[in-house]
Amino acid sequence: MGMQGDFFQLLKEQGYQFGAPATAGSDLEMPNATTILAFKYRDGVLVAGDRRATAGNMVMYDRTDKVLEIDRHSVMAIAGVPATAYEMVRVLEHSFKYYRRTQLQELSFEGKLRAVSKLLKENVAAALAGTGAVAPIFAGYDFEQESAKIYFYDILGAEFEGVEYAVSGSGSPTIRGILHYLNTWGEQPLSALSEEQSTVQALRLLTSAAEFDSATGGVNREANLYPVIKFITAGGVRTMPDAQLKPLFEAKVVRHV
Amino acid sequence: MYEEPYRWVEAVGNRRQYLDEQFKQGSPVVALAYEQGIVLLTVSKGTPKLYEIYDRLALGGMGHPADLEKLRFSLLEMAHVEGFNRSPSDVTGSRMVKYGIAPVIKQAFEEVFKAPFIVKILLAELGPKAGRDAFLVINYDGTFEEGSGCAVVAATRQVEQEMATYLRGQSSIPLPLDRAVGAALRAWALGDRAQRRAAEETGGGEETKAGTQSGAADAATLDAHFRHAAAEKSVECAVLDRTQPGSSKYRTLTVEELGRLLPPDVNLSLE
Repeated sequence: MGMQGDFFQLLKEQGYQFGAPATAGSDLEMPNATTILAFKYRDGVLVAGDRRATAGNMVMYDRTDKVLEIDRHSVMAIAGVPATAYEMVRVLEHSFKYYRRTQLQELSFEGKLRAVSKLLKENVAAALAGTGAVAPIFAGYDFEQESAKIYFYDILGAEFEGVEYAVSGSGSPTIRGILHYLNTWGEQPLSALSEEQSTVQALRLLTSAAEFDSATGGVNREANLYPVIKFITAGGVRTMPDAQLKPLFEAKVVRHV
Repeated sequence: MYEEPYRWVEAVGNRRQYLDEQFKQGSPVVALAYEQGIVLLTVSKGTPKLYEIYDRLALGGMGHPADLEKLRFSLLEMAHVEGFNRSPSDVTGSRMVKYGIAPVIKQAFEEVFKAPFIVKILLAELGPKAGRDAFLVINYDGTFEEGSGCAVVAATRQVEQEMATYLRGQSSIPLPLDRAVGAALRAWALGDRAQRRAAEETGGGEETKAGTQSGAADAATLDAHFRHAAAEKSVECAVLDRTQPGSSKYRTLTVEELGRLLPPDVNLSLE
């Protein structure tokens, strides 16, 4: 049934199976801790993530990219088991392209959201066994509604709209409270921040998460390691280059007391 | 009755004649390397003839829309499954053609009990660097050719050669986009004119003999022919643009862009 433009179906027909059948015990140490966040700012949505990957209390890697572009107008930030998360991103990327190229039109934003849910549902067994849990944030530009939107998912595939902001990962409890505080009693709500102001907030939030969560990487100035920050607007997805993050971090985030 | 070898050869011969007849009225497709990638151009009425296949692969076709659609789908399936299971850089035009659709087209052509594909296909592949682009042309019998710099499909081999010669004569280095669009458009006009003359010739007896030689191929004459031939049809133009951000390099040119890029004396009323 290629006529439907469903790439995932096509893969399954070819014998592909998403996610391993769950057999492993739950005492395995899976690399899964992180902090990812997204919030609406003046021009669209900002999505950010630290760069540390851990397994238990061991740091596996400090240059992970957890904020991944699925296509020109959508981004998925991943928290959870990286193997499953990266595979999801690859399936989604090909699914959206395949749909666009076969049907000669973009998949609607709602269609994209459904595709994420479907993959998570497919993965429930592995998620419950502890070998493949993923709780992503999906953000993109919705051309029908003419606005950028944020959605977050639990590991079973339930979808929630983050009207103003969304967080996920082990460091998220720390910054969830901060986001609420900032948005409610800050000088201005998050949605009024400029690109630069929102970048500063994102850097501060991730630094706070790293302060209280050993599994979140924060900023490592000696190694020139900055979080990944992306912006989604009607014009598409744009990444804030490290060269711009560095001066902002030094001027606005490092404590000057 | 086809079990006798002679009958089979005869049947395949008839098939060639039948298929050649089908393409006589078709609209040629032109692909040409330009400074930043590859530009594809054709004129169509109703159904589109240019498509995106994969990150760096574009398709142009002549023939029956339903047949083109079938082959387009098998190319899309193959490219995406391969790109997912291996990597996007393993999805090359040459593999898609050699191991993918060429054998299918050949088989359909030679199975004289079944209907052949009424298609001629052009695949353009954007290389990682300028000068590494690939152009593949597949005929209705499954034979294919790989070339570089430019490629065309048209009703007959002769017309194709005439068009290719014209394109090669334009410049030895890749042109900027506007001039490449101009060259592609004039090559199309040249091909379309040659096809019309060939059709007239076979239809109208021998008296038009004098007019069969291709005639003037200067820009103004070709633009005038284009204006006339493309009236009430739509100009389709797409690029594989190396400088485009992201992994997909294919883009259809919008009506406004085309308006700016077409030679001023063509000035079509684009809808």
